[in-house]
Formats: sequence, C-alpha cells, structure tokens
Amino acid sequence: MLRVAQLGKRYSSDGPAALTGVSFDVTAGELLAVVGPSGCGKTTLLRLLCGLTPPSEGAVLFNGRPVLRPPHEFALVFQDYSRSLFPWLSVVRNVMFPLRGAGLTRTGRISRAEAVLDEMGLHGAAHKYPWQLSGGMQQRVAIARALVSLPEVLLLDEPFASIDALTRAELQDVLLRVHGVSGGRRVTIVHVTHDIDEAVYLADRVLILSSAPGRVAGSIEVGLARPRAQTATRSSPRFLAVRNEIHLVIAAKELG
Amino acid sequence: MIAALLNRVVPRLLGVLVFAAALGIWEVWARSEESFLVPPMSAVAERAWQVWPTADFLMPVAASLKRLAAGFAIGAGIGVVVGLMMGSSRRTRRTLEPLMEFSRAIPPVAIVPAAIVVLGLGDAMRIAVIAFAVCFPVLVNTIEGVRVVSPEARDTASILHVGSMGRTFRIYLPAALPSIVAGLRIAVSIGLLMVVISEFLGEGDGLGRYILFHQSQFNMPEMYGGILFLGLLGYVLNSLFLFAEHRVLTWHYGAAGVQAP
Repeated sequence: MLRVAQLGKRYSSDGPAALTGVSFDVTAGELLAVVGPSGCGKTTLLRLLCGLTPPSEGAVLFNGRPVLRPPHEFALVFQDYSRSLFPWLSVVRNVMFPLRGAGLTRTGRISRAEAVLDEMGLHGAAHKYPWQLSGGMQQRVAIARALVSLPEVLLLDEPFASIDALTRAELQDVLLRVHGVSGGRRVTIVHVTHDIDEAVYLADRVLILSSAPGRVAGSIEVGLARPRAQTATRSSPRFLAVRNEIHLVIAAKELG
Repeated sequence: MIAALLNRVVPRLLGVLVFAAALGIWEVWARSEESFLVPPMSAVAERAWQVWPTADFLMPVAASLKRLAAGFAIGAGIGVVVGLMMGSSRRTRRTLEPLMEFSRAIPPVAIVPAAIVVLGLGDAMRIAVIAFAVCFPVLVNTIEGVRVVSPEARDTASILHVGSMGRTFRIYLPAALPSIVAGLRIAVSIGLLMVVISEFLGEGDGLGRYILFHQSQFNMPEMYGGILFLGLLGYVLNSLFLFAEHRVLTWHYGAAGVQAP
C-alpha cells in the first residue's frame, strides 16, 4: 500500500545527504517500526513519507500514486505533544479540529470526538485543557486527534520518547489496541523510535536505518504472536532473539 | 495564616502609603511656596471636585476619548492584519520589513507637523497620528507571536489541509493572541500620548487643549487637574486591558505556567 523507492534527501544541493537509496514496502494493516541511532534521518524519512517534505530523489507511492502533498488518508503524531496540541482549545475541541469541513454537523463532530476520547480512556478529560493533563494523557489526546478522521495510515514520530517508562508501556498497549481494533480494517502504522525493545514489542517488522547518510541496514520480521502482553511477550525467547538480531545489525554497521 | 495575610497586605499597604506620602509632600511643599503657580494638592482636588462633573471638563474628555478610540481601532486593526500577513508568509515579511523597521524608527511625534500639512488641524490629522503610533507595537508583537508558532502546529495544519485562511484564523491568531494583547497594552499608553500631543498642536477641543488653555490663563488648579486626570485615565485603561487579558488568555497562563500579572 505504501512503497518507498530509492528515496533520498539533501537539504541543500551541495550538502550531505540525510537519506539515500531508501527502499521498502509497507503492506496494508502492517505495523512497521523504524529504528536507528539519532541523526539517522528517521524524522526526515517520516516527513517524506507523508509529503511534508519533498524528496530530492526517488518517490513515495501510496496505492500506486506518488505522494506530493499530505494525503487525506494519513495522520501524524509528533514526539512533542505540548507543541502539537493547541493550548487554547479544550481537549474535545483539539480532537474535533481535523473534522472541520468533513461534512459533519457540530453535534456530529462532538459525538465523534467524544467517542474517540472514550476509546483512548479520556472520557473525564474532554473539557479540560491539554496543559491540565499529564504528559501521557496529552499524548493520548494527540493520538485521538490523529485517529478522529479515520486515517488509513498512521505515522508516529518517537511518540513516547519524552514519556516516563511506566506510562510508556501503557501507551504502547494503547497503540496496539488501536492497531488491532477488531471488526474494522486494520490501520497501517509506521512507528519511528530509537527504542529497540519498543520496536520489537509493537511491530510486525522492524526496519533498521544506519546513520550519515541514512540508509536501510536491515529489515527483520518480528513474528511474535498477537495479542501481545508486556511481560509475557518481552520475556519470550523469540523477543530476545529478534532484539539481539537488531543489535547485531546495528553493531555490524557501526564497525563498517 | 496570619503571616501569609500580612505578606499579602503589607506590600499593598506600603504602596498606598508611598502614594499618599507623595501627595503629602506636594501639599506641604506647595503651601510653603505660597506661589499661585504651584497650588497645593488640596486646592487642585477641590477644584477638580467642582469642575470634573461639568460639561466644561467632560466635553474635552469625551472628545479625547473618541479620538483615542478611533485612532486605536484603526492602528491596532492595521497592526494585527498586516502582522498576521507578515508573520505567516516569509516573502511578505521580507518585502515589508525594511519599510516597517524604518517607519517605526521615526518618533511618532515627529510626523505631527507633516500630518498637519497634509490633513489640516482637525480630527483627521489627530486620528491619523494616533493610528500611526499605535500600529507599530501591535504589528511587531503580532509578527513575533505568529513567528513562534511551533513547527508541529504548522505541520499539523499541512497534514490536515487547513487552507491559508483557516491557518491564519484558527492557528496563527489564537497562538499569537498573548503577544498581540501585550502589544495592545503598550499601544494604549502610546495612543494616549499622541492624543495629548496632537491636541497641543491642532485646534479645537480635547484634554490636551484643556490643559494648555488653562495654563495660558494661569488657572493652575485646572491645569494640574487635567494632568492628574490623564494619569488616572491611563491607569484605568491599563487595568481594563489587564482584566480583558485575564478573561481571554486563561489558557495561556495555564499552559505556559506564566504568572498572571
């Protein structure tokens, strides 16, 4: 559904490449994690994927069409929730924001937003302001805002990097629930992180980027059963094996 | 509990005491001078008590306030609109910045003679110079307010296909509001300054003219009364803005952890 072909990016024509020759596919309903050391162009890759930044070479194809500007079917969650949520809007109005012009009445927009907030475990918070909530709760609001327009592709840029470890585990399970919503079609997720354990725990497949310039160093099928659970999954032999494999790929790249 | 109460009350009490002491020094000094050019505070207050409720005083006050309101509305309106345009488009900012930086470097008082030549001695000139002076602090603060909108908020707008109008009014304007309101508050005091100066130089009515007239007639209590009233007016306008700021920007004080002034 999402095809990345020989993607490269230079921010200035004579500058160093941030990304070069990156190719991979994402199938519908897949949860792909992208890991790599900081500065390897993970964020650049995500911006190229959703058409916020034009590529210098290659292309991103969504259902066969090149992505030149953000497709309506995409939603994005940033690392810094405090800067992506609008502090002057209450939680429910933040979540309603994407629905303007979606052909819904005001009450329709409110009830849709409230439904998503309920799903995210935020029913008490609808009329609070984002800054009155904890960091974890704010990121839930940001995810709710991304989901409210029923995207086919959800892109997350280190969404849990600035959240404490316990809350992070909670939010990882929220994301797994979002991905595995029963009955409906699965949403396709590309999750960028520098946390290898998180990548293995969440993903169907982990894409490893090496740095300077960013290129694909490896792609590893996780192959862990779903549904996953923090303790059981993380202590399974398969989890440890995949984790080690990723570490080896990164170490091999660093040694050249 | 009592200590906390004292901590709150004592500084305020001191503030009132210092103010009262200043009035007291004026009173004592003026009485010892025994010159009609420096009337004691009590004489000024007594005359104000008689004159302020009459049309002789209220008409000029109303005239000045009307000019301030008109000039402020025009200047602040231009400041916000142009500021939003300059803040949201780098090209517009680059195009207009040299003109803006040059124009706002001119002390607004200096354009009054030119304004008199072009617009005459009436209200058109006055409102124009007030608007000119008011415009810049609002403009600069609006640009700055839009400029600091986070890249995440801009990207969110792009992802959601928010058009340029929607961006301006649903993201840039509310995001810049704290900065804009701060600019408006600076602009009010500058506006009041321009009201008085433009009235000194033109013809007609207004508080500035009232002060100048009574100075020329050696009606010292009236003159001082007019000056004190301007102080009072500036104080009240500033307080009104602070009050409005509080109502409109509750979210800002919460989000930024800023202490409300």
